[in-house]
Amino acid sequence: MKIISLNKGLGALWYPLIFGLYLCYTPALANKVLRQNQSISQQNQISGTITDGTSPLPGVSIAVKGKPKSATISDFNGQYILSASPNDTLVATFMGFKTAIIPINGKKIINIQLQEDITTLQEVRVNAGYYTVKESELTGSIAKITSKDIEKQPVNNPLAALQGRMTGVNIIQATGTPGGGFDIQIRGMNSMRTEGNAPLYVVDGVPYSSQSLGFSSASSGILAGTTSPLNGINPSDLESIEVLKDADATAIYGSRGANGVVLITTKKGKEGKTKFNLNAYTGFGKLTRTMNLMNTEQYLSMRREAFANDGSTEYPVNAYDVNGKWDQNRDTNWQNELIGGTAETNNIQATISGGSSGTQYLVSGTMHKETTVFPGDAKYGKGAVHTSLTHSTEDGLFKINFSANYNTDKNVLPPSDLTYKAAVLAPNAPALYDANGNLNWENNTWSNPLASLNGRYTANTATLIANTVLSYQLLQGLELKTSLGYTDNRVEESRINPSTMYNPAFGFGSERSTLYVNNASSHSWTIEPQLNWQKKVGGGEINMLAGATFQDQKSSQLSQTGSGFPSNGLIYNLAAAARLKIASNHFMQYKYQAFFGRINYNWKSKYIINATGRRDGSSRFGPGNRFANFGAVGAAWVFSKEVFINNNNNSFLSFGKLRASYGTSGNDQIGDYQFLDTYNVTGNNYNGVIGVQPSRLFNPAFGWETNKKLEAAIELGFLDDRIFLTAAYYRNRSSNQLVGIPLAGTTGFSSVQANLDATVQNTGLELELRTVQFRRRNFNWTTNLNLTIPKNKLLEFPNLESSPYANSYVIGQSISIQKVYHYTGINPQTGLYTFEDYDGDGQISSPNDQRWIEDTAPKWFGGFANQWNYKNWAMDFLFQFVRQKARNYLYNTSWAGDMVNQPVAIGNHWPANGTTSETQLYTTGENGEALDAWSRYSNSNATISDASYIRLKSISLSYTIPTKGSQISTARVYLQAQNLLTFTKYKGADPENQSSFFIPPLRQIALGIQLGL
Amino acid sequence: MKYYKQIQSVLIIALIALICFWLNGCDSFTETDLPQSQLIKTAVFQDVKTATAALSDCYAQMRDYSMITGNSDGISSLMGNYADELTYYGVSDAPLQHFYNHTVLPSNSGVSFLWNSGYNQIYAANAIVEGVENSTAITGDNRNRLKGEALFIRAFIHFYLVNLFGDIPYIATTDFKTNTAVSRQPEADVYNKIIADLLEAKNLLPETYTSAQRIRPNKYTASALLARVYLYAGNWQLAENEASIIINKTALYQWQDDLDQVFLKDSPASIWQLHPGVAGLNTIEGRSFIFNSTPPSIEAVSQELLDAFETGDERKNHWLGSINDGTDTYYFPFKYKLNTNTGTSQEYSIIFRLEEQYLIRAEARAYLSNLAEARDDINKIRQRAGLSDITVNTSEGLLQAILQERRIELFTEFGHRWFDLKRTGQANLILSTIKPAWKNRDTLLPIPASELLANSHLLPQNQGY
Repeated sequence: MKIISLNKGLGALWYPLIFGLYLCYTPALANKVLRQNQSISQQNQISGTITDGTSPLPGVSIAVKGKPKSATISDFNGQYILSASPNDTLVATFMGFKTAIIPINGKKIINIQLQEDITTLQEVRVNAGYYTVKESELTGSIAKITSKDIEKQPVNNPLAALQGRMTGVNIIQATGTPGGGFDIQIRGMNSMRTEGNAPLYVVDGVPYSSQSLGFSSASSGILAGTTSPLNGINPSDLESIEVLKDADATAIYGSRGANGVVLITTKKGKEGKTKFNLNAYTGFGKLTRTMNLMNTEQYLSMRREAFANDGSTEYPVNAYDVNGKWDQNRDTNWQNELIGGTAETNNIQATISGGSSGTQYLVSGTMHKETTVFPGDAKYGKGAVHTSLTHSTEDGLFKINFSANYNTDKNVLPPSDLTYKAAVLAPNAPALYDANGNLNWENNTWSNPLASLNGRYTANTATLIANTVLSYQLLQGLELKTSLGYTDNRVEESRINPSTMYNPAFGFGSERSTLYVNNASSHSWTIEPQLNWQKKVGGGEINMLAGATFQDQKSSQLSQTGSGFPSNGLIYNLAAAARLKIASNHFMQYKYQAFFGRINYNWKSKYIINATGRRDGSSRFGPGNRFANFGAVGAAWVFSKEVFINNNNNSFLSFGKLRASYGTSGNDQIGDYQFLDTYNVTGNNYNGVIGVQPSRLFNPAFGWETNKKLEAAIELGFLDDRIFLTAAYYRNRSSNQLVGIPLAGTTGFSSVQANLDATVQNTGLELELRTVQFRRRNFNWTTNLNLTIPKNKLLEFPNLESSPYANSYVIGQSISIQKVYHYTGINPQTGLYTFEDYDGDGQISSPNDQRWIEDTAPKWFGGFANQWNYKNWAMDFLFQFVRQKARNYLYNTSWAGDMVNQPVAIGNHWPANGTTSETQLYTTGENGEALDAWSRYSNSNATISDASYIRLKSISLSYTIPTKGSQISTARVYLQAQNLLTFTKYKGADPENQSSFFIPPLRQIALGIQLGL
Repeated sequence: MKYYKQIQSVLIIALIALICFWLNGCDSFTETDLPQSQLIKTAVFQDVKTATAALSDCYAQMRDYSMITGNSDGISSLMGNYADELTYYGVSDAPLQHFYNHTVLPSNSGVSFLWNSGYNQIYAANAIVEGVENSTAITGDNRNRLKGEALFIRAFIHFYLVNLFGDIPYIATTDFKTNTAVSRQPEADVYNKIIADLLEAKNLLPETYTSAQRIRPNKYTASALLARVYLYAGNWQLAENEASIIINKTALYQWQDDLDQVFLKDSPASIWQLHPGVAGLNTIEGRSFIFNSTPPSIEAVSQELLDAFETGDERKNHWLGSINDGTDTYYFPFKYKLNTNTGTSQEYSIIFRLEEQYLIRAEARAYLSNLAEARDDINKIRQRAGLSDITVNTSEGLLQAILQERRIELFTEFGHRWFDLKRTGQANLILSTIKPAWKNRDTLLPIPASELLANSHLLPQNQGY
């Protein structure tokens, strides 16, 4: 079966390849014909490819020396063509690289390799959202990765490409199942609400809602939550991702910038001849790590001892593992059986781009397919189309830029993840299939885990993000610009629970089958008129920006449950359901407006001051609390330009800058209509009357949460910037915390939305070191090291002791602490776990004895990347490292001796190993004292242990095939891997997602080819 | 050409100025309409229909997500396993298994479900009481009926909470600031408040049902609970009086002689039952208790309960189902006989039925030393079961016979057996021999651990946990 599906996968890959090649050749042949007609007297066609030694460089300006009008620009694949006489000299210039001067000497094909000029990296412009800035003149903190880094990783979610590459940005993959979510925290947890820490995503200038439209009843069993909206963005269409971190960079996003801003920019066409680029890879994935579980011998000896301890002389009728009902010679590694499969990935992308000096375009299409590690035919598919069109009038006064991204995902998965089942199933549990190949129920003594695969979760999502930017230069230095954005998200989800998921002995027919359906959509438009003004004043330059934002987002959701079908064949037809329940039908509207501005003064690129501000209004707050002001000031001093440093021409210090910023930003991620006292329709039917119930506890008086951010940084370049160090210190304080304050159950609810008079501080040190060890013609070696040392602290919390948070937080400690029992070893008499009795009352009880504090926030994290180029070979690798503590397997596993499998380490138990044992006296569950002790143990410091890890996050090896003289301009083969190696002492499966219920991120290896024409 | 350019600039500046004026005037942009898919609270209580929808939701929640639900989250199953009615066969470490084994910890999710769903429904009931009180549009009979039902629900849930957890807060407001920091009140105070609510409900509720189906409580339903509350509180005379009110209302409630018809939705002995929701559905109890393969996937009737049936008791044949797999026979509660849908619904979950009132009156009369009439009441039950009359002539003997009769008549109905063992002080005596992990603390469930963390006023935890 495996072989067939493999062939299918590879076979499917060939069709687009052949079709792509066909497409690519057609216009290339046409070009050839055209070229023959263009005979220019005494001039030769000079052509070639411009590379940086590894990959082609598009956008390089190349001209004949002394004839600026001859200038042309290399295309997407680094190719250029121009006419020149045999004695001319070519000049190739490109930002970030040293200018190359090459005499033609009668040659017709001249390939040029540009040398990177580290110094001028400082000239690279960074996207700050509403404006761009030269990196050297930046007053704020913005981290960036480009398509070069993204392309080296076979990933499906843009956030996966950021992992380990940026300081201050901590990203965790929640599950290895395709379509699942990622958690991102930029500079720590600001909000005490776990869901209030998401950054603002902006795709090509359009705010992109990170709120999922998913229906958790349909997806929570498999995706660790709801489907991630970021899957609607195709990583291979991205040109860059910028993360705005400090006040200077985020204040212009005002109320939505508190948790940082992620700016996603898609690829655009470049001037030059029509280019085709084809990129395809195929890969395989397995789990990174699994648990080391007991085998049958170890397991049964634990069980028997447990029964002996409990004084049972006869095994109970339902203890099938030991009472002889199950074969005691069977030994199955359930992790291999249930989650040990190989996931296949196939990805192909074709791009056409080009354009004249006035109009450039790019169109690309991507197909992506993935299977899973679960048994069965689960799969994920993605199709993406990206277009970009740029036009400017001949006088350059009017410009229009249009971009559109359309993305469809189809995810077909089992309804629930089998990870937990694989860990707890007894190793001598029965075979999955009987002799006839049917699911084996072993005389109804177990529930066959594969039966759940008869259920199915299906999600179809479609995402459209379109943006048009119109700009017109009104006067010299004054530009009017309007950005018009539209996003449209649609989700169709379903989950079926057919009666075949249950043991046939129950006699359930299709009248027990259930269908969950969710149809949701959200669309939003944005208009952002802006005015830019630029003028030289004195020795410097002043830049002003004023603008406004209007956003209107409407969303709707219809979630239904149908049950009781005439036949399982009709299970997708809601009309066939005997009983239909509408779980929810929502209509939401979110309106947002803002006025923003920026004033920047730059004196000879030496002293720079930048002030930004925004006034925001959001419909999520009640009248009277609706508007708020945010603002920031940033300043930079490029001291390396001062005469007293630069006068001796000693190039030891090549660059030096000090910068600092202070300001505020806010957070309105609380959902719509929370300030209204409303009743929801529940869909509960009582004799034909559909019920309504209070939506929430009513509290109209909540307002904006504010976040004050301070940052100071130094940037130093040594030896021609071959060693470049950035060190930043930040301090963010969030106050007036907007939280769902947990309440006692006696209120009827678990929380109420309110502002809490508490202040959370995040401080941290971010270090980045970039070094160039070798910069030779044939060999380059560069290294990037980044390290973040964050610290979270609860600064203020009036009346904490009498609040519902009294047992969750401690002033002066991080907000990710847990207050637990302090485990003090095994009692040599009883063989049970013992704990510290803090209040000395002779009893171990909650909450008075839960005083031990464990912090699960990362202590430090970072990445270490190296890039080697040798002739046509390039190799990149990235190690990601995290120092942290986390809940380990002991937290979720049952007590030792129960009818569930356990890690091998649980075998180290009392009394066999005395008080040095890890595990207490085994019990089958009859020993109440042992269970009490076990319950406290899972809530003690013993279940929180080191979860630090070093992971070879990404490694990529590529070889550029020489293509001199052929139609193909570039040809490259590559081998890429994600999560290849993990070094950790974590007690559990994976130290990244730390989950007992969802599969960890996959270890993936992919082989690919890139062709350019 | 130059002029043209200047005119163009002027026009553009004018346009920008216009846009600025427009922007300035649109602070109201962020005002959204009221949500189309929700109702503002005040609107709910301006119309008797929407207010009835709020009340109907309470009943639907009680049926599906509360302590009286018919599946293994509800007390019929939880306390049936906790006492000696059911034997657990399900998966390891389920909340229900800990009830069966008497290893219930404060972190048990079954315990927090009982607590949280209970108080959630009390909130909904309080919201109706307040909404109706503040409504200008709902008046007269509608107002009395809605408020009466809401007060009844509030008393009903507090009654179960106080019997499961001991001292508990009695919640009579929707104000979360008050409710999040409440303290536990002594059982006696909680009982007084339950009685006060029920007396008021009894006053407000009409004698008639809203429909033939008896799916919303009437005056007699309040009496039925009141009779039980008085019995539990040891107020024998009042218990007897309340039970008699119902028994004497023969125009509404008649004895059902056929054991197979007791649990049908049209039974004239039924005082209050829950509608299954959608037409064609039957009870959750039926779907949950009945099994047709062995071994049972969750639970089966215990050996102790089987042994407790007297020889010749017809209820054993009519109210228990069984399945034999060749070696073992397993029994399940078969009071509700349907575990699938039918064209029209045939069985509703009956919360209060006439037979219990006879048993209440018998017990009250036994305590009041009215032994003859007490015997008559029990014998009414016994005759239907095909058993001979009892002739015991001591109070103690009669009380023991009543306990036995309640055990058989009311088995696996909303924890009757457990509450009887507990209130008569026999739980320790009887269960310590059956449950190896039995401890004295077990007469009360622990307050959920998360609640003690959220509200320190609830401390201390029940003794022994």
